[in-house]
Amino acid sequence: MLTPALPQAQPTSTSLESDQRAWIALDDPAEWSGFSQALDNEQQDWESRLAIEGMHCAACAFNVERALKAVQGVSSVEVNATSGRARIVWSAALTKPSDWLSAVSKAGYRALPAADAFAQDTRRKNQRLMLWRWLVAGFCMMQVMMYAYPAYVANAGEMTPDMLNLLRWASWVLTLPVLLFSSGPFFSNALNDLKMRQISMDMPVALGILITFIVSTAATFEPNGWWGEEVYFDSLTMFVFFLLTGRWIELRMRDRTAGALDALMLRLPASVERQKADGSFERVAVRQLALGDVVRVLPGETFPADGTITLGSTSADEALLTGESRAVPKGLGTEVIAGSYNLSAAVQVRIDKIGQTTRYAQIVALMERVSAEKPRLAILADRIARPFLITVLFAAAASAAFWWQEDHGRALMAAVAVLIVTCPCALSLATPAAMLTVSGALAKSGVLVRKMQALEALTTIDTVVFDKTGTLTHDRMEIGKISTAPHISQSAALAVASKMAQHSLHPVSRALVQASQTQLADEAQIAVSNVQEISGFGLVADASLGKLKLGSAKFCEITDEVLQSLQKPVESEQSSVVYLVANQVWLATFEVIEAVKEDAANAVSALQSLGLGVEVLSGDKLQSVARIANLVGISQVNGGCTPQEKLQRLQFLQQQGRQVAMVGDGLNDGPVLAAAHVSIAMGQAVPLAQSQSDFVIMSGELNMVPHLIHQAKRTMRIVKQNLIWAAVYNATCVPLAVAGMLPAWLAGLGMALSSLLVVLNAARLANATKPITHP
Amino acid sequence: MDILFLLIPLSVVLVFAVLGGLWWAIYTGQFEEVEAEGERILHED
Repeated sequence: MLTPALPQAQPTSTSLESDQRAWIALDDPAEWSGFSQALDNEQQDWESRLAIEGMHCAACAFNVERALKAVQGVSSVEVNATSGRARIVWSAALTKPSDWLSAVSKAGYRALPAADAFAQDTRRKNQRLMLWRWLVAGFCMMQVMMYAYPAYVANAGEMTPDMLNLLRWASWVLTLPVLLFSSGPFFSNALNDLKMRQISMDMPVALGILITFIVSTAATFEPNGWWGEEVYFDSLTMFVFFLLTGRWIELRMRDRTAGALDALMLRLPASVERQKADGSFERVAVRQLALGDVVRVLPGETFPADGTITLGSTSADEALLTGESRAVPKGLGTEVIAGSYNLSAAVQVRIDKIGQTTRYAQIVALMERVSAEKPRLAILADRIARPFLITVLFAAAASAAFWWQEDHGRALMAAVAVLIVTCPCALSLATPAAMLTVSGALAKSGVLVRKMQALEALTTIDTVVFDKTGTLTHDRMEIGKISTAPHISQSAALAVASKMAQHSLHPVSRALVQASQTQLADEAQIAVSNVQEISGFGLVADASLGKLKLGSAKFCEITDEVLQSLQKPVESEQSSVVYLVANQVWLATFEVIEAVKEDAANAVSALQSLGLGVEVLSGDKLQSVARIANLVGISQVNGGCTPQEKLQRLQFLQQQGRQVAMVGDGLNDGPVLAAAHVSIAMGQAVPLAQSQSDFVIMSGELNMVPHLIHQAKRTMRIVKQNLIWAAVYNATCVPLAVAGMLPAWLAGLGMALSSLLVVLNAARLANATKPITHP
Repeated sequence: MDILFLLIPLSVVLVFAVLGGLWWAIYTGQFEEVEAEGERILHED
């Protein structure tokens, strides 16, 4: 979110110059918050996120990383080739954004501050250019094949030399656009590699294209040279087309994966109608909003910031932010969150929170970090990529040398096949492609993945430990057993109590109101008036029954003798019971209990059917923990634990060799979550930036826990398939190409298909947004 | 078969003409938001 005047006003052609001007503008600290977060330490470190253009494989990511690390003041860099994003930590005292942005461009890539308004524009431009390159290659390929066809089917002597020459000439003319335009990115990347003395995937490809073109051109114009008279224009156009097809689909898939991210990140509108002092509205950029501004949000628009509705009522879609899939009604005075959709009516909203303090911004920052993170397996693949490419260059040279004696032209084409067919991309794409896809899919169902590495760890889990409060139970209360005096029915007592409770916001009052809504109709119809809340004690009211009091035993002035005579509800403690009295005569007792989440029992049995041990570990009284555990079907109960004891229990389990996943509310379980192998936080109330868990289930739905484990297992299965495929592919095709048994066009097809297969295989994970339900 | 000496160069020219058409299609956004035109009738203004 930069000043629109900077990048957009520039003409697009003078990109480098305008880039530099835009970068210098980014040196203004006021602009930093658009793409960075201050880390609040002594070195004045900032953490920024960038979108990198021009990256094609792991080796590229490595080059960008090296370029950024070389800048003085940059302390940490993570580049993810799959998502095209980078995370960089830099010191404001030592460097400025323009320094490291130009370092990236000197390395031959282009960096844009992510969450930037014009990132989308650039992406569209890139997509058009890519499509155009692809279409040129495809169309020319078809025509070149037409020209090549007669030479394949004609018997010797059937075609006149003139005709043969004409067809070759025509092929040559149509290969030129493919070489000069469509293959442009291969050459420019290879050239960069040469300049920087580094190596990436495009180097062998560019070399292959060049060799093929030179051999074929020579054969066209001088058929009697040592290179032979064979032309390979059809092979050349074909493999360029295949490679571009592969890359194009890969780009689309990557955009779709990043799409889950971008669906979130580009959620905020660019502009919004703000109320002026005279009451009329004007359109202003969202970044100009200040606290206390009143804005009008139309149906179909997103809320630009966290705020409170001051006029009108509507409903909102908060699915991506809270995991709540139903439309949430929003009346006067209720809070709306940035990034959620206004569904039904125009409302006016007073802005309470803006920028990085909103929940939306926290989620985006979190997802950004994850998309720049590299899982362990991916790092391993990256390390292999470079020596692998060097080996390929040697293998190509060796195969050319080997065949040289037989036929010079064919020897060169064998080398070309080796160069084209190898695909370290499949290897380095295997892990991040799958993990990114699944974290995108999970995000859509309200689960944030904070550490991708944890997906791997989650597959080895054998014990799941739940916290109780806020995890197995709701934060709210529920009315349990009701006991009444003989002259009043339960429903009448509840109706009276809830009529009084309507006037209070106390959790117990809300539980009473909630309970009365699910009960049968109130047949007694006792009117209640003059309700008053005695804060901290209870409620008083007048009714036909007399002077009513609702509250603790002391407040209701119930004597100890009466208390003794009352049948106490089982398990209840004094604090979790409220009494209703009329003229100091006892009417009813309401037991207040914690509300167990509806899906808790289901989730626990799903986990148990996966063969996992389930435990509950809580700081609450053993009695109430046991009651909840019993309800949801957990037999292993640890209650009354101090945080220290919780940690000890966890370490005890780990010493027994168990792999433990801890599910907590993320607030009180910090150390325990940190110590577990995998930690899952129920994120409804948690400040996301502070929680240290590996996963955050935003909706607090417990069914998401077995779903998450299931998805993690699927992910690792697909990662393994991808890695095996990539290894098998390279291990079979490279020797075949070296042996001269693979024509160049087939090599191009093979390479395109192999990386496509990896990406498509990973894409299977994208559809898995619905949790599995076990009956 | 002499006509081929005219037709083949002509086909090369034709390819460039078709490519020109494709260029126009891409850069006027014909391949983007393919559903938008159908939905346009449902929107006000």
